[in-house]
Amino acid sequence: MRFRFCGDLDCPDWVLAEISTLAKISSVKLKLICAQVLKDLLGEAIDYEKILKLTSDAKLESGDVKATIAVLSFILSSAAKHNVDSESLSSELQQLGLPKEHATGLCRSYEEKQSPLQDSLRACSLRLSQLDSVSWRVDYTLSSSELQEVNEPLVHLMFGVRDRDSGVTETVPMAVSADKFRVLLAELKQAQALMKTLL
Amino acid sequence: MLLVLSEEQREHLGCLPRLGAAAVGELGRLAVELLRRGGAPRALEAAARKLDVSVDTIQHGIEGLTYLLTESSKLMISETDFQDSVHVLGFSDELNKLLLQLYLDNRKEIRSILSELAPKLPSYHNLEWRLDVQLASRSLRQQIKPAVTIKLHLNQNGDQTAQVLQTDPSTLLHLIQQLEQALGEMKTNHCRRIVRNMK
Repeated sequence: MRFRFCGDLDCPDWVLAEISTLAKISSVKLKLICAQVLKDLLGEAIDYEKILKLTSDAKLESGDVKATIAVLSFILSSAAKHNVDSESLSSELQQLGLPKEHATGLCRSYEEKQSPLQDSLRACSLRLSQLDSVSWRVDYTLSSSELQEVNEPLVHLMFGVRDRDSGVTETVPMAVSADKFRVLLAELKQAQALMKTLL
Repeated sequence: MLLVLSEEQREHLGCLPRLGAAAVGELGRLAVELLRRGGAPRALEAAARKLDVSVDTIQHGIEGLTYLLTESSKLMISETDFQDSVHVLGFSDELNKLLLQLYLDNRKEIRSILSELAPKLPSYHNLEWRLDVQLASRSLRQQIKPAVTIKLHLNQNGDQTAQVLQTDPSTLLHLIQQLEQALGEMKTNHCRRIVRNMK
């Protein structure tokens, strides 16, 4: 059976198995747990104590609580990843065996946070490095050991490049002569014009 | 297969008969602790004081016992072979029986500790990917060139490294096909026969 929220593939076995655990929790409490899981996916801290309190009525073991959080994380992030609207998500979850009120509650929480979730997923997509800052300085060389009268302008550029994994910012300094700098600027302006046509 | 003990080791183990059965039991326990967790100098000093011998004697005794236990566990020698090897040292029957018991009790655990010392290749940790399309470059405009960028996270003895790779979609499809063929090998008769025999 192909599901859109799994990317048009079969639903993983472990998700199928945990749907029954989700059904044990009342639909109101499930919506609150969803809110917590969404907070975690958006990068804020998760309140594990709160989730434990909400699941205590359903008398779930600690393994089941963790499984519930894992299943909800998977469903919500996978639905956001494949840009599934909340109607389709609701019907697909009901096909998997989740009761109607639970599915509607879950999808309502999902719908509220769909855009922020997709934005945060876009931000943590693979990216090799990132330009943090650019600083520049224009100098005028008067004379050097090679030639007595040089009289040429010189641009000093310093790029701050941030490595995605370690978060360390590396600085790349370079000195560019006036002509080279003009070429660089012209090419970058052409690239910017191309980018504007795509936006 | 018989264990061969060098002169020095025989000397080290030579102190055991003098200490008596209870002491040997204590030393055996300390030797296994040494294999499990590494050196514990304070425990050695306490044992030395209790048994009224120098710390050096205790140290040598434990080292000798450790060697005896690791070599026997490594080679997985049978009871008779172990008894014959220990017989060479000329200990009393009671002491021999104690050593044999020590070996048999701890063999499995020592083997599992030794198996962790084997060198390991980097293992898979995580894979991030990204699909890009190159539309234009400085030299050529109006292109369409798709490329898949992959970041492979590897784990080796706790160190994390990342490898960045880039490929075009047709090479990626070829790669997937080769990997699926490799997985399919498990289903051939040859592999099935070997797996059956290993169980």
